[in-house]
Amino acid sequence: MQTSTVAAPQDVIAAHDIPEGRRTAGKWLITLATIALAAIALFQGLYAAGQTETGFSNWRPVLYAYLAWGVALGAGQVMIRGEGGKRALFVLPAILFTVAVVIFPTVAGLYIAFTDWNLASFDGRSFNGLANFWALMNDGYFWNALRNMGFYVLAVLLQYAIAFGLALLLNAEIRARKFFRVAFLMPFMLSPVAVGWMVGKSLMEYRFGPAATLARHLGWENPAFFASPWIARFSIMAMDAWVWIPFVMILLLAGLQALPKEILEAAKVDGANGWRAFWQIIFPLMLPVSITAVIIRIIFQLKLADIVITVTSGGPGGSTDTVSSFIFREYRDRSNVGYGTMVAEFYFILIALFIALLLWGSSRWMKRVTG
Amino acid sequence: MKTQDYDRHLKFQASRRGILKGAAGLGALAATGALGMGGASLFAQPAMAQAGDLRAQLLAVPGIGKGSPTDADWQKVGEMVLDATKKNVKEGEFAGVELTFMGLNNQNLHNMLFRGFLKPWEAYTGAKINWIDLAQADYNARLQQSIATGTVDFDVIEMGAPFEGDVCGKGLASEMPDWVKAQIDMDDYVGYLKAPVGTWNGKTYRVSIDGDCHTFNHRTDVFADADLAKAWKEEGNAGEWGVPKTWQQVQAATKFLKGKKVGGQEAFGYLDAPKAWGGFGFYFLGSRATAYAKHPDDKAWLFDADTMKPRVNNPAWVRAIQDVIDALPSEPADQINADPNTTAFQQFLGGTGSMVSWWGDVGSNAKTSDTSVVGDVTGFSILPGSDDVYNAKTGQWDKLASGPNYAPNMAFLGWGVYVMSRVDADEKKKKAAWSAAAHLGGKDIGLWMSAYPSGFQPYRNSQFNIPEWVAAGYDEAFITAYLNANKDSYNHPNAAIEPRIPGIFQYYSIAEDELAKTFAGQGTAQEGADKIAAAWEKLTDQIGREKQIELYKASLGL
Repeated sequence: MQTSTVAAPQDVIAAHDIPEGRRTAGKWLITLATIALAAIALFQGLYAAGQTETGFSNWRPVLYAYLAWGVALGAGQVMIRGEGGKRALFVLPAILFTVAVVIFPTVAGLYIAFTDWNLASFDGRSFNGLANFWALMNDGYFWNALRNMGFYVLAVLLQYAIAFGLALLLNAEIRARKFFRVAFLMPFMLSPVAVGWMVGKSLMEYRFGPAATLARHLGWENPAFFASPWIARFSIMAMDAWVWIPFVMILLLAGLQALPKEILEAAKVDGANGWRAFWQIIFPLMLPVSITAVIIRIIFQLKLADIVITVTSGGPGGSTDTVSSFIFREYRDRSNVGYGTMVAEFYFILIALFIALLLWGSSRWMKRVTG
Repeated sequence: MKTQDYDRHLKFQASRRGILKGAAGLGALAATGALGMGGASLFAQPAMAQAGDLRAQLLAVPGIGKGSPTDADWQKVGEMVLDATKKNVKEGEFAGVELTFMGLNNQNLHNMLFRGFLKPWEAYTGAKINWIDLAQADYNARLQQSIATGTVDFDVIEMGAPFEGDVCGKGLASEMPDWVKAQIDMDDYVGYLKAPVGTWNGKTYRVSIDGDCHTFNHRTDVFADADLAKAWKEEGNAGEWGVPKTWQQVQAATKFLKGKKVGGQEAFGYLDAPKAWGGFGFYFLGSRATAYAKHPDDKAWLFDADTMKPRVNNPAWVRAIQDVIDALPSEPADQINADPNTTAFQQFLGGTGSMVSWWGDVGSNAKTSDTSVVGDVTGFSILPGSDDVYNAKTGQWDKLASGPNYAPNMAFLGWGVYVMSRVDADEKKKKAAWSAAAHLGGKDIGLWMSAYPSGFQPYRNSQFNIPEWVAAGYDEAFITAYLNANKDSYNHPNAAIEPRIPGIFQYYSIAEDELAKTFAGQGTAQEGADKIAAAWEKLTDQIGREKQIELYKASLGL
C-alpha cells in the first residue's frame, strides 16, 4: 500500500525575502570572524614556532576564537540564507565538532608523521620528509606485529562461530535463559586490562594459577601459557575471545529474535530438521547481522593492545605483539613521537582500506548468496 | 564504627598532637604508638627524646617481623621525624599553599609511603599536597612528555639521577637552598651519591632518598644443602658447592640445579628477567655484563666515551647475552615471560629460584614483607665477578693479577626528590616544596625507609651501623650481609656508573625489544647485540651526538 504525506502548512518553509543589507551584514560577520580566527592562530603559531616574541602562554585563546568563529558562522548563515541558514544550524555544530576533534588532529598527526621528533632530542622537532615512512617499510617489528594481526583477525571467525552457537542456545526455550544472558555478558563488562591481570597473570600463572594447576593434573608437565610463540598467541586469543564473544553473541541474539517466526514454523511444517533449517533459513537470513557483527569485531580486533601489554609485553620474541602495542612502546618507552605517529597514521590508512575492501567484498558475496 | 568510638579516637589523636608539641613529645609518642601495635606495653619503651633513641624508636615501627607497615605506621614515622622541619618552618607557615607531587606507586610503595610521611607535615605546616601516582613503566613517558611539551604540572618530583640530564640540564629544576642542605645533612651521603650526582653545572638539585645498585641475593639453605653438595661432587663439578662468586659459577650452579629438589621443592638457580619492563629490564642484563665489560682501567663500559659508539655488541656484552640464552632452559618453564618484578617479588621472595640480582628491595622485603617466605634463608653479596674481563681498548680478554674482576652495577643511582623551578617565583611555595622534600630526605626517616619495604635502600653512611639494626630485631648475620653487600658495592673502586644522559631509557627500551627476540631464539647473541648497537647509533644521532658525548663524559667524571 502506498501512502502519501502532505506537509502541514506550519511545516512549509516559506521563502524569505531577505534584505540585501542583512545579507551583507552576514557576509561581513563571517569574514571578520574568519580574519580574527586566522589572525589569532597566526599570531600564536608564529610565537609557538619561535618567530615572534609575543604570544599567549597556551593555545586556549585560539580555541576560544574557533568557538566564536563557529557562532559567527552560524549567525551569518541565518542572516544570509534565512530559513536555509536555520536548517544549516542543525548540522553545523556537529560538523565543527568533527573538524575540531577528528579532522584537525588527523591532519596535524599527518604533519607530525613527517617529522623527526624525539622528546629527548636537544633540537626538538624537525621536518624529515619520507624518512619515517621508509624506516617503517624496513621495520621488522611493525611487519611482525602486522602478521600477528592477521592471526588475531582470523581468530574472529572462530569467535563468531562460538558466539553464534551461544546465541542460538540463548534464543532457545531453555531454563534460566535470562540468567545465562546476563552471565554470558559479564566478561564483556570487564576491562581487558583487568582480564589481563586476573586471567593472564593470575589464573594462568605458571606456579600457583588454577589454570596451570588444572593443566598439570591433565598431564601437561610444564603449563607455561606464555613461554612459546604459538601457545602464547593462542592464550592471548583465548583471553581476547572470552572478553569479546559476548559482544558478538548479543548482536547475533538480537538478529535471531528479529527473524520472522512464520518462516521458521513453515520450515518445520515442511519437515526441515534443525540442521537444515539452520543452514538454509536461519544462517542466510542472519547474514546481514553476521557481517555487521564480524566487521565491527574486526575493527575492534585490529586495535588489540591492552591484554598484550599487560600480560606479555608482546613476547616471547614479538610473537604476541600487536601494531597498537608496538605503537605504544614507540611512544611510551621511546618518546619517539614522529615515527610513532607515522606508524599510527599508516596503520589507520591500512585499516580503512581493509575495512572498505571487506565491506565491498561482503556486499558482493551477499548479493550472490541471496540472489 | 560506633560514634563513641570515633569520638574517643579523635580525642586520642588530638591529645597525641598536643603531646607532640612538648619537648618530651617523642617519648610519649613512642608510648602511645605502642598502643597501636597491640603487643608492646606502654611502659616497655620509656620516654626518650635523644637522637639515638629516636632512631631506635623509629625502627620499632611496626617492628621487624611484625608484618608489613601500614599507613598508620607511615604517618607515625612522619610525626616522629617532624622536629627537623620545625627548626626551619613555623607552625601553619604554609597555610594556603598547594603542591603537586609526582612519583611512583610501585608495589603500593613510594608515593603511598610519602602520603603517610607527609600527612603530619601537612598538618603542621598547613600546606596541602596533591598526588600524581605513576606505574614505573609509565614514568619515563610521562616525564618526557611534560618536558617536551612544556606542561610540567608538578612542583615536586620523585626522580632518578638518570633523568637529571633531561630535567636539570633543561633548567626545569629549582636549586637547593642552603637551609635544606643543612637540614638533610648531605655530608652523610655515601660517596658515590655526592656530587656530581644530584648536581648540574655545579648547582645542587637533588634530595637523595635512596642509593641504588644491584646486589646478588641468594638462598643460604640451597648453597648449604649437604645433598646438593654431594651431588655437585658426584657430577664432577669443580670446587666445593657454595655461593657462586663469579658468573661462570652462577652458570654452572644454575645448570646443576635443574631437576634437583631442596626440601621437597623444585630447585632453580639464577632467575633472569627476559621480559621488557619499560626500559628498566635492561639493568638486569647490565648486572650480568658489568663484570665482563667494566675494565678497572676504563671508566666507560656502555659506550666509548669519545664517540658514543655502543659497546653493547662487544664480546663482553655478547657473552652476557649468551649466558642468559644458555641459562634460560635451566630456569622455570615460563621464565621467558618474567619481568624483574616477577623475579624478585613473585619468584625469589616466594621461594622459587636461588639467585637473583636486584636492588636492595629484596633484602628489605625478605624479613618484613607478608609475602616473603625466605626471610631466614636469604644471603647477600656484591654482584658476582668474572674470571676475565674484556679490555675494550685492546680488544683482549684480561685476567687480572688480583683475581676475578668485580664491577657492581650502580643501576639507576637511586631515587631522589627534586623541586621544579616553576615554584621559584613564589617564595612561600618554594620554601614549602623544599621543606616537603627535606622532610622525606631526612637522616632519620632514611633509616626507617631502608629498614622496611619502601622501594629504597641505604644511601647514608649512618645507615650502615649494624648494632642499630640488630637492636631493632634484625638477625646479625642477615643484616651484616645485606648492609655489606650494599656498602661494598657503593664503595667499590670498579663500580659501573650509570650514564646520566638524556633519553637513556630509550636506549634501554630498544635493547629490551631486541633482547626479547634474541632470548626467544630469533638470531644469535651477536646478531641481537649488533641490532641493538645499530639502533643506539641511530638514536644518538637523533638526540644529538655531540651533546650526548659531553654529558656521558661528565657522568663518568671524565
